[in-house]
Amino acid sequence: MIAVLVARNTFREATRDRVIAGVIGAGLVLLLATQVLSPLAMGEGERLTVDLGLSGISLLGILVTLLVGTSLVAKEIERRTIYNLLSRPIARPHYLLGKWIGMTATLWVVAGGLGLALWGLLLVRGYGHNALSLLQSVYLAGLELALVAALAVMFSALSTPVLSALYTLGAVLIGQWSDDLRAYSAKLPGALSPVLHAAANLVPNLPLFNMRTLAANGDTTTLLHLGLASAYALVYCACVLSLAAAAFESRDFK
Amino acid sequence: MQNTTRPAEVWPGAGSKAADPNPMDANLAICVRGLAKHYRSPWTLRVARGLEGLDLDVERGQVLGLLGPNGAGKTTTLKLLTGLLKPSRGNAWLLGVPIAEPKSRRALGFLPEQPYFYDYLTGVEYLELAGGLSGLPGIEAHERARHWLGRVGLGDRPRLLLRKYSKGMLQRLGLAAALVHDPQILILDEPMSGLDPYGRRDVRELILEQHARGVTVLFSSHILPDVESVADRVAILHRGRLVRAVEPRDLSAGAARRVIIRCEGAPILEIPPGWRGRVARRPGGSDSEFEVSGTLEINSVLDWLVRSGVKIRAVTPQGTGLEEIFLSATEEDAPRPQGGTPHGQGGPPRLAGTAPPGGAQPVGGAPGAPQGVARLEHGRKVA
Repeated sequence: MIAVLVARNTFREATRDRVIAGVIGAGLVLLLATQVLSPLAMGEGERLTVDLGLSGISLLGILVTLLVGTSLVAKEIERRTIYNLLSRPIARPHYLLGKWIGMTATLWVVAGGLGLALWGLLLVRGYGHNALSLLQSVYLAGLELALVAALAVMFSALSTPVLSALYTLGAVLIGQWSDDLRAYSAKLPGALSPVLHAAANLVPNLPLFNMRTLAANGDTTTLLHLGLASAYALVYCACVLSLAAAAFESRDFK
Repeated sequence: MQNTTRPAEVWPGAGSKAADPNPMDANLAICVRGLAKHYRSPWTLRVARGLEGLDLDVERGQVLGLLGPNGAGKTTTLKLLTGLLKPSRGNAWLLGVPIAEPKSRRALGFLPEQPYFYDYLTGVEYLELAGGLSGLPGIEAHERARHWLGRVGLGDRPRLLLRKYSKGMLQRLGLAAALVHDPQILILDEPMSGLDPYGRRDVRELILEQHARGVTVLFSSHILPDVESVADRVAILHRGRLVRAVEPRDLSAGAARRVIIRCEGAPILEIPPGWRGRVARRPGGSDSEFEVSGTLEINSVLDWLVRSGVKIRAVTPQGTGLEEIFLSATEEDAPRPQGGTPHGQGGPPRLAGTAPPGGAQPVGGAPGAPQGVARLEHGRKVA
């Protein structure tokens, strides 16, 4: 209940931030820009629209997380608004959970809104694209953003807004290359190989949430993939938020 | 230190007046035992002591004013009680619940010093949030938010965003947020700082109103007259320790106050022998000034002056009894003028031979001295 109240307030905070309006505007401009580029795509206009549209949803979602999510807790500490919350009967882990739920809800609204706009554009253009593959792709993008939001909340709870944005960006970049890291670790000699392999397994496996190429071709993914991705995101978020809660529990607010 | 995990029925004598009351005493709203807060710098590993072994009890329904110079540990104490800081040692209980448990704050209303708010919310939204977080269900939170917004004089513009509120409006909103769930304990950190006289009066009245409702109020302030006018008891902190526990009502009865009576011209008068040491004449430019100290009845001095044909220009009290106590309790830190009195610059020097004002009990003031429990009870104190 308490986490829901915090989540609702976080959602209200994020959606009343001008950044969100700007990002949604930028997303719509990006979708329209794909139509300018379509004639240059040699008959691949539909694929270009879907690919760029879905990439835009992921990138803009991560941008929102970096601009809003990474300062969620740190800004509350800096501006001392956190005093008004934590002096009430709220367990600190519930506070962090509420922040994450609120941020994730905001990101899902952004991703869902832009996904709907993309689907509408495809309908208007008469491409008759597979709606299920779009839906699956937006769902996976939502999971990816939820995971990045958990990292942002963790870094935000332990650091300043600027540093937490840098840490989150770093985690996203490394996470995008986690497959390459695993492949590279197999080629390393001796003891380095398992160490790098373990490290690659610790960073978020973001390629798991990427089915843009499939969606661009109008193909769908399997339920097993969706289930595994959902379970991975849930467990990873739970671990990250538990770490954040453990560190946040002993923090003093001077 | 009492073991907080013991079941409630083990604790005997709820409401007892034992010298060392247990934290489960039903009569206690706030119970603090050996509470300490140390800050360690992560780079130099130096330890700064914010609070040192504080013992303090506040009974239900009392208004306790927390006084002390800057850095004395007032805000640290309040933040420890409200869960914003974690104690380095010791423990405290709110209505018998250890402060480490979030539910200890269920019946707590807190106004931080210079409160900050979400500027994207309206007044009603903020109070709804505050009420909801303190356990009020949705509809009740909304109704109470409306009620309290009106109660603090902000009800005419419920949809105004907080970023457009003035400082005084924000302070009143903060008070409303602290009270929206009808708390049994109210903790206010410098509630009157930065307010104009009207705002200060409103805050005073609100505290007295809550006191009349039976709410326990713990507040810190630098404004001694406000503390004196509102508090049942005053605790003076200095360098992280409780050094005095005072009952302001005792001050008016027996405190050593000083009054300056300014008279026209330089009348030739001999001070009656019985008043010597308590009435002193001092130069006052072209006029004369008589300084009256101690418990001497001021009316009799005025009668004597009028009967002697002296024209009185002004009668000016010199500080309050509480001020004298505060300065004497904390004077070791006060800046001293070169070649001046040992009383520092912060206030008027005491007359020679003036005994420490009544009502004050030193409680473990010196560093290293055993820490007594300032048991603040109606009509008596046990150190």
